[in-house]
Amino acid sequence: MLPSRNALLGLVLLSLAFPVAGGAQERAVVSKEIAVGKAEAALRLEFADGARLALALSDGSVMVDGESVGSYAVGDPLEAAWRALLGEAVLLDDGPLASMLRDWTPPASLEGEALATARRLDQALEAALSVPATPTPPTPSLSVSVGEGSDGAIVRLLLGQTSRLATLGEALEGLGSDINLHLDEDVVVAEGETITGNLLVVQGDVRVAGIVSGDVVVVDGTLKLLEGGLIQGDVRLVDATFDDEGGVLQGELRDVERQERNVERELRDQLREELRSEIRREIRSSARDGNAGFFNPFSRVFRGIGGIIENLVAILILGMVGMGVVAFAPLNLDVVAETARRSPGRSAMVGLAGTFLLVPVWVLGAVALAVSIVGIPVMIAWLPLFPLAAVAAAGLGYLAMARNVGEWLADTDYRYTDWIRKSNPVTTIFGGLAGLMIFFVAANVLGILPFFGFFKGLLTFVGVMASLVALQVGFGAVLLTRAGRRPEYYPKDFDEAWAEAVDAEMEMDAGPAAKAGTGPAGGTENGGNV
Amino acid sequence: MSRIRGATLVAAVAMASLAQPGGAQSWRTVTTSRQAAGEDELRVQVTYGAGEFKVRTAEAGLLYRMQLRYDEDVFEPRSEYERGRLHLGVESLGRSIKLGKRSGGEMDLQLGPGVPMDLDMEFGAVRADLDLGGLSLTNLELSTGASESVVDVSRPNPVAMNRASFEVGAADFTARRLGNLNARRITVDAGIGEVTLWFNGSWQQDARVNVKMGLGALELRFPEGLGVKLTKDSFLTSLDSEGLVKRGDAYYSLDWEQAERKVTIDLDAAFGSVKVIWVR
Repeated sequence: MLPSRNALLGLVLLSLAFPVAGGAQERAVVSKEIAVGKAEAALRLEFADGARLALALSDGSVMVDGESVGSYAVGDPLEAAWRALLGEAVLLDDGPLASMLRDWTPPASLEGEALATARRLDQALEAALSVPATPTPPTPSLSVSVGEGSDGAIVRLLLGQTSRLATLGEALEGLGSDINLHLDEDVVVAEGETITGNLLVVQGDVRVAGIVSGDVVVVDGTLKLLEGGLIQGDVRLVDATFDDEGGVLQGELRDVERQERNVERELRDQLREELRSEIRREIRSSARDGNAGFFNPFSRVFRGIGGIIENLVAILILGMVGMGVVAFAPLNLDVVAETARRSPGRSAMVGLAGTFLLVPVWVLGAVALAVSIVGIPVMIAWLPLFPLAAVAAAGLGYLAMARNVGEWLADTDYRYTDWIRKSNPVTTIFGGLAGLMIFFVAANVLGILPFFGFFKGLLTFVGVMASLVALQVGFGAVLLTRAGRRPEYYPKDFDEAWAEAVDAEMEMDAGPAAKAGTGPAGGTENGGNV
Repeated sequence: MSRIRGATLVAAVAMASLAQPGGAQSWRTVTTSRQAAGEDELRVQVTYGAGEFKVRTAEAGLLYRMQLRYDEDVFEPRSEYERGRLHLGVESLGRSIKLGKRSGGEMDLQLGPGVPMDLDMEFGAVRADLDLGGLSLTNLELSTGASESVVDVSRPNPVAMNRASFEVGAADFTARRLGNLNARRITVDAGIGEVTLWFNGSWQQDARVNVKMGLGALELRFPEGLGVKLTKDSFLTSLDSEGLVKRGDAYYSLDWEQAERKVTIDLDAAFGSVKVIWVR
């Protein structure tokens, strides 16, 4: 005596536990895959009931579900017909796809062995796409009980918890056919009482003091296995909790929802632990380096001062080279610097690509020149000149970046950068070089002190990274502008640029009073920040 | 009807022609699709190494459709679906890859509308053109390597998104109509490149946006009427803060107090330029 609603619910839940064996008139295609390559043209279908079909012409063999049913030659009529069929199938899905494939017949142009093989393909398609005759499954035994006053239980389960149906399906997988279903009510298996079969409780608590001969599935509730209670099967929980209060569970305990979460958590924990170990190793290594220096303070001081002098000499030499560039190729420097400023991303990517290509181009160029007698003398010049040109390009780019950094420093309000004048490129280059080298200088200063080994390494790393970035961006800008000879990335008219420069100088000379008139709404803060 | 026949013919010719041997690369074309079966949520993971990549909304009834053209000597396709988890794309076989926009590989992905979706995409050297309009996105993660990516949200996301995250390596990256994402939180983490973010679209809730720029040019384009608050922590970065007023540590749009929808942007940049542009 089951209410109709309960019967409906029972069918739904049972359908999760027992796959439907029967089908509609036309077998639904839920998924298709069509793969076409030089040596293969394959069709793979998946049906609503989980069955699959794989047909392929691959490397001269015609395959149906992995078994060879014939052969073909590349470009023969059978392959052409099959590829044409796949060409049509690409655009179709579901019903139209199933109909088209089922209605396909081998073309009349086929004959002999090719026709026989095509018919096998056709038969395989028709057999798969027609509804298979299936035996009626044994009727499961189902008893359903619904809690009083819980009219909404069925609706809530079907509509409100649709997201759980997949999990429910997993929880009910393999469950025997003998099910005692309780909806929205608490269940007590009293001492001395025995429930034969499986117990499925949805939205209710369970107390087991007696015996359950099968599995217990609890959805959205609590299962208490009391002293003297016995569950001979498994316990499966979906959004439910399990309290073992002295009973006996002979099977396994499975938290269906938690299993997935646990795997993710374990992966996260493993990753975190690896990260921790890595950091620990780094810190130990830094500590070791620091201790070595701690016992030899004089060598640390000498090394630090020597490093600072090295940095200053480098700034001086590069600055003098920069002065030469300003004197002999000022426009080229401007164009490269503006390109680096306006398109840093593009310049960096071009610089990176150019760096990777340097050695291959050098080698290939030499090889290409070496194959001809005329080219051999050129190759002799190519071998040393190409690296020199590359170094010169990198140097020009670095100086251009130093100029940009110098201009930025000139815009800042730092006391120590007052001497940098934007109108004087020599000061901007020297200032920029100092700015780019400051990390190395700071690292050397810290290196003099004990206990700062880690920070010294950190600053050195930052300095190296800043230098690398400056080199890449500058080198890319040099390549983009052909060493400053192609000003596409610097389209500013010379007169306009001159006028802007003059305005900027006047504004600086006028001091803060002149800036006070600039409203914040339309204000522009170019380069003014840290 | 004639259009369908025409398209069929084109597809058939294309499929047949793709199978012809040509060049050093061995091209293979794979088309996969799956019908929607009442999924109430879907976790999609897309991995794509090199080539051109497009995302569109599929027609109703489809869960997804993927058309893939790849070099079978270098890649193998991936198309797996299991219990609400979908993994698509190609994986490298570990041999040398011809990187670049002209590598010839293509992936055209259509995702079904109406299925709440957690979308996670990871690209290598890819030119990506993504239109996420009309998809029901609950989470979005996009990670690109050396790529040129354009993300457009042409239609509003019908479900509220928890978080949209864009990780850009060395790339040009443009995101349009971010308002249509319906996201509470948006993060953009860019390494080297030029990034343009359009904050137009239909904002259905206030949002917080975190932008981290390594080296490059960042352009922020705001529609008039959107309340904008910008805080920045930058190093060697110029800021052109057109239309913003500095109050305390933050920059505010003129109508911040009156704006119906407000976007708070936390900017962390080093080495580059940031430009604010207001659009009608």
